[in-house]
Amino acid sequence: MTSPNNAPFAISARNLTLTLGDGDAAVEILRGIDLDVADGEVLALLGPSGSGKSSLMAVLSGLERASSGSLSVAGENFATMDEDALARARRGKIGIVLQAFHLLPTMTAAENVATPMELAGAKDAGTRAAAELEAVGLGHRLTHYPAQLSGGEQQRVALARAIAPRPRLIFADEPTGNLDVATGHDIIELMFARRAEAGATLVIITHDPELAARCDRIVTIADGLIATDSASV
Amino acid sequence: MSDGADQNGLGWGAAWGIARRDLNTRFKGLRLLLVCLFLGTGALAAIGTLTAAIESELAGRGQELLGGDLEVEVWQRDLTPEEQAALGEIGEVSGGTRLQAMASAGENAAPVELKAVDTAWPLYGALKLTDGRSVGAPAAGEAWLAQGAVDRLGIAVGDSFMIGGKPLLAAGIIDNEPDRLSEGFQLGPTIIVAEDMPGSAGLLAPGSMYQSKYRVAFKDGRSPDAVEDRLQARFPNAGFDYRTRDNASPGADRFVSRMGEFLTLVGLAALVIAGIGIGGGVSSYLEARRASIATLKVLGASSRDIARIYALQIGAAALVGSGLGLIAGFAVTPLLAAALQGLLPVESGFVFEPAALLIAAAYGLLVAMVFAATPLVRARKFPAMALMRARVAPLSRDGRALAWVGAGMAAIIALALLTARQPLLSGGFLAGAVVTLGLLALLGWGIRKLAAKAPRPANPLWRNALANLHRPGAATGALVTALGFGLSAFVLLAAIQSSINGNIEQRVPREAPDYFVLDIPRDRVTAFEQLVAAEQGEAFVRTVPSLRGAILAYGPKDAMIRVADLEEIPEGAWPLRGERGLTYSDNLPVGNRLIEGSWWGPFYEGEPLVSVDAEFAEAIDLKPGDYITIGLLGIERTARVANLRTIDWESMGFNYVLVFSPNAIRDAPHNLAATIDLPDGAETGPLLRQLVRNFPSSSVIEIGQVLAEARVILGQVGTATFAAASVAVLAGLAVLIGAIAAARAVRTYDTVVFRVLGASRRQVLLMQLAEYGLLAIILAAVALALGTGLAWLVVVQLFEFAWLPNWAEILGVLGAGLLFVLAFALAGSLPLLRAKPAQALRAL
Repeated sequence: MTSPNNAPFAISARNLTLTLGDGDAAVEILRGIDLDVADGEVLALLGPSGSGKSSLMAVLSGLERASSGSLSVAGENFATMDEDALARARRGKIGIVLQAFHLLPTMTAAENVATPMELAGAKDAGTRAAAELEAVGLGHRLTHYPAQLSGGEQQRVALARAIAPRPRLIFADEPTGNLDVATGHDIIELMFARRAEAGATLVIITHDPELAARCDRIVTIADGLIATDSASV
Repeated sequence: MSDGADQNGLGWGAAWGIARRDLNTRFKGLRLLLVCLFLGTGALAAIGTLTAAIESELAGRGQELLGGDLEVEVWQRDLTPEEQAALGEIGEVSGGTRLQAMASAGENAAPVELKAVDTAWPLYGALKLTDGRSVGAPAAGEAWLAQGAVDRLGIAVGDSFMIGGKPLLAAGIIDNEPDRLSEGFQLGPTIIVAEDMPGSAGLLAPGSMYQSKYRVAFKDGRSPDAVEDRLQARFPNAGFDYRTRDNASPGADRFVSRMGEFLTLVGLAALVIAGIGIGGGVSSYLEARRASIATLKVLGASSRDIARIYALQIGAAALVGSGLGLIAGFAVTPLLAAALQGLLPVESGFVFEPAALLIAAAYGLLVAMVFAATPLVRARKFPAMALMRARVAPLSRDGRALAWVGAGMAAIIALALLTARQPLLSGGFLAGAVVTLGLLALLGWGIRKLAAKAPRPANPLWRNALANLHRPGAATGALVTALGFGLSAFVLLAAIQSSINGNIEQRVPREAPDYFVLDIPRDRVTAFEQLVAAEQGEAFVRTVPSLRGAILAYGPKDAMIRVADLEEIPEGAWPLRGERGLTYSDNLPVGNRLIEGSWWGPFYEGEPLVSVDAEFAEAIDLKPGDYITIGLLGIERTARVANLRTIDWESMGFNYVLVFSPNAIRDAPHNLAATIDLPDGAETGPLLRQLVRNFPSSSVIEIGQVLAEARVILGQVGTATFAAASVAVLAGLAVLIGAIAAARAVRTYDTVVFRVLGASRRQVLLMQLAEYGLLAIILAAVALALGTGLAWLVVVQLFEFAWLPNWAEILGVLGAGLLFVLAFALAGSLPLLRAKPAQALRAL
């Protein structure tokens, strides 16, 4: 599958739905999403709380299986994969940054960054983790535990962890939501710089119009559907 | 990018790399698992090591303990020259006699066990004296004395004392008597004399109560059992009791075996309880790791990777816990051995029994596998989405857990059946434990369902307390299992302990006379009664004729069964073994009750008759009208069964299985025996002195001394059971604490929210009290039934003691357990309750 300018699509979704719960308790979260994201594109997902943007990111990143529809991510058919196959597909190919950092509290900064590469079987995970932490300005914090780091530092570690395996796709769910404005700004600068260096596709969920304006494309989600897409404007 | 991980996931090495990092060096979060395994394997290691050491001691020192390869005992006579010659053909023979006697020195008198031995004694081992000498039989006119005899007589080495009117020189004090254990229960301290001393002192007159013991050291490697069979065939009516080196001390063997079984069951119980703790501990640990597991999944870990990482962490903790348990079990063995010193042949130093340690470790790790498998397999399914959504759907069940649990259970049962002395008992216990766990799980399920269906109280606090029992993720099931087992362990221990105490305190001394006097010459009974009356006017004296003989045949007149022909002695027919006490009487003995047939009455001179204990008669299917043949001093006598009667064995008076009509056995040479009941607080010294002076050939047994020794033995049994059962209780406590702590973590959220919404501290405490109180009341009833049921099995079926529990004590212990549960449950909330709502909110 390729984009109109013949670049391959990093993501291609058709009629994606996601329903949680059964029977009377069933809730339709996504109600038919069609979305193509070109390789190397930077996409902002906007929308009010509860619109389904985080769920859409979860489905696109393989954290959750869609209830129906077709989905190709980084050349893999996510729609037919089970949980474990999705986990394998994420290894080294997809990096995820979350609002609450979610570092492993029992591991040092370097160990946190090395873990996804180790899961993918890389022998030089330690060296690469140290290099990536150096690149995000935390070369002096390699052996510190998350509890010994500030919020901004923790998010830098999370960013390094997502980027270090050189993924084709990076997903970021409100990466500055837990940070003050200045720190958040630094993190965004860093994320854009590291992404450009890696040449990866970036899908970023945000409520910040300024941040969205820096992206190649803005998609707005409302009530489980794509409400607007700047690419089609 | 493929080293250490294939397409399916991490290799074990790479998984360990991540597991090690995530594992706190102080095993934070896994300490309950660690403590439970430590206690369980520690208990099993100590128990296994101790029993294996004692058994190997009994087996390895059989010849020394018995004093030969084979022993032949017979009452009230010496062996005939033909019998002695038969033993001489087999190997070297050492003979001697055993009897009760009175020793005196000046104003002091003491009942003693007189052991007369020939110069060949001991055939194996050596007698050690306290001065360091290793000696054999003492010279004529000399004696080796046990410390107890020296103390009672108030003499020292080199002093003289008297037995049976004959002076003896105290030539040494016994330090270690090689064949002590095979001599059985002692009725007084031992004095060892030369072979001919009792005879020359007139203590072996016809009718006297003495026992001849002959030991043989085989010339060659023949089988003791085969020799016994041949002797039995050659002298079928001799009334011999046989013992072999393989069964040197049947009492100790039986005791060790019973004790070993009980202790192993206690160890298994501790492990089952520990298993519940392990399950709870692993569940809590993995629950607390949910976010980490989800993060690892976000980073690309598959469910197999998760299983490997956390199995390695739990395995490491299990290995450390079991290893520490093994070390502790090994280290405490000398303490246990010291507690049992004198009761059993056991070295007091460290004993290394690799098999016992291996079995304990295997049990520990298998139990860890069985109980950790379910939460571990469940953890594989923790979704990555847990990071992005606060609440996720309950996890579905995974059949793989069942496979692991099943395989682990099968391995545990196989191990129990292969290594247990009584596989059926151990298997039955494990099956019982599984059923109990199942029932508790069912109860937990039932409570949840009932709570869900119950009408919702209007008061929000009561409503929440009720909802806590059934809401999604409620820990009711785990709490019911843990509290049920933990409280049952308390009840079990209290019931066993109080029953053993009851046996010691209530049963043994009841109605026991103060003295037994043996070998009172028939023609001096009146003089004896007068002497006692003169010394202790209020004493009650009862005399009975006393003979010994063996039952040779029984049954209907024309179809009598010869005991020698029996392949196996029927269950409950113990009087058929060897010689028994016999008596005759004109009247039904005091305390006995006639239940079938009629008594012969005074001056009866018809066909010789016998009255038989009803329980024994039932065991050998004997009825009034049948006949019994006994061997009495080498002569066969037959009597018709006139009646059956019940005996109150607990009265500790003269209780005979067979009581004959006087004309049946009166003509055999015999003496009389007497019981003396003294008024409370009576001084006994003058009476003993007068008895020694006037009845030198009679011997006195002080029941007070015997009971004191029995109390010591029962006390040691009590201590051993208490020590072992304490481990189970400690495991139970650990489980209780773990279960409550896990449940409390869930309650914290509610507590804070209720505080923020305006609930007072008292209201929140009441809410928790209501929830735990309801559970505690239900589980107290379950624990009472379960704990006392199991205790009854142990006390009555295993130890064959009377069921004498102290209900006040049991209920007290149960109440204390419940209070502990409630106090611990509530205490955890206090910091949150003390804090201001805003502070508590920040602590979430």
